[in-house]
Amino acid sequence: MEFKDYYKTLGVSRDATAEEIKKAFRRLARKYHPDVSKETDAEHKMKEVNEANAVLSDPEKRAAYDQLGQQGFQAGSDFQPPPGWDAGFEFSGRGSNGAQAADFSDFFAELFGKQMGGGARQTHHRMRGEDHHAKIMLDLEDTYHGATRSLTLRMPKLDNQGRTVLAAHTLNVRIPKGVHAGQIIRLAGQGGPGHAGEAAGDLFLEVHFKPHSRYRIENKDVYATLPAAPWEAALGATIKIPVPDGLVEVRVPENSQSGRKLRLKGRGIPAATPGDLYLVLEVVLPPATTPKQREFYQTMAQELAFNPRQNLGV
Amino acid sequence: MSHEIDAILLEDTLLNLDELARSCQVSREWVVERVQWGLLLDEDSSNTDPTAWLFDSRSFIRIKRIIAVERDFECNPELAGLVADMIEEIELLRTRLKATKPNED
Repeated sequence: MEFKDYYKTLGVSRDATAEEIKKAFRRLARKYHPDVSKETDAEHKMKEVNEANAVLSDPEKRAAYDQLGQQGFQAGSDFQPPPGWDAGFEFSGRGSNGAQAADFSDFFAELFGKQMGGGARQTHHRMRGEDHHAKIMLDLEDTYHGATRSLTLRMPKLDNQGRTVLAAHTLNVRIPKGVHAGQIIRLAGQGGPGHAGEAAGDLFLEVHFKPHSRYRIENKDVYATLPAAPWEAALGATIKIPVPDGLVEVRVPENSQSGRKLRLKGRGIPAATPGDLYLVLEVVLPPATTPKQREFYQTMAQELAFNPRQNLGV
Repeated sequence: MSHEIDAILLEDTLLNLDELARSCQVSREWVVERVQWGLLLDEDSSNTDPTAWLFDSRSFIRIKRIIAVERDFECNPELAGLVADMIEEIELLRTRLKATKPNED
């Protein structure tokens, strides 16, 4: 296990005041806010920043952590906590709820695991297990057909010595057909363990879709490009095209231009009220490389008297 | 573990006030205040009986954002609500941009 330098993570000195730590944390929380940040890997960095703040903003945890720092551990160095390192400290658990702590590192779990969900401290009370929250990335095809997806989460659990450790937990989840982005799916009883016979918590997963090479998704509606030859767009045509749930034939009306949207009602995400599938027409020009092809374009230029910039006044 | 677990859409089992508060590790009163201040659910809900409130996926994601912003920046709830509004708006616009302009990922 690697020693983590929480001061370095927050970019503050070891003698930083509580106010300086708070300011540094807020600055980074803004920078790496997962919903708006343009930084790569913002979500991972935000987790690191949260973890560093959970330790350094809590006077007791910080004091215990500082004691380790004085023993010469440095960022990245191999680390095992010395026996009795935390003697004399009683961590209050402030600032790290169970849902958050599941995101923290093994290093954090080893040092401060006692107050994480499932800790020995809580087992005397009858208490329902905590709910856990996470995200799940799906493929568009999963929602059209339904699918079973394997999901690995790190969850706090008690080891043989009664200490809390983060253990990888793999679940095979049957994804309901018709789920769309921004929805929450719930897995009953898959959250933190209950105490003294009480029920386990639930796991809530926020649904996201992986980018798809052909389809774009907006809520329940799905968009795809429909490439068409100029004569298909000009004269009208029936075009065969693969869509997420099979193959369809669509009628392109005559005199269509690039960008025209053809709506296939109910062929979007198959939710209770299904979304629509939009095919956005893209007229693709044949190349003009051979003399014959070039001649053909020249004939069009002469015969059609067409000015695409007419409405620009030129 | 090889057995399969059925996932249930939150829309099929909406959360009541107590379930939402417990899941997000905030008090019942914390949620009630924010609904009454118009930061969660719709305006009409603020005058109704809290035991009848039901929370869907959108409310669930929104409340988690408000909790995180209030906690991380120690700001007042209205400001956190405003941030949540803006994040929702950005998400909508980004999705729309991606849907209509496939080459600008």
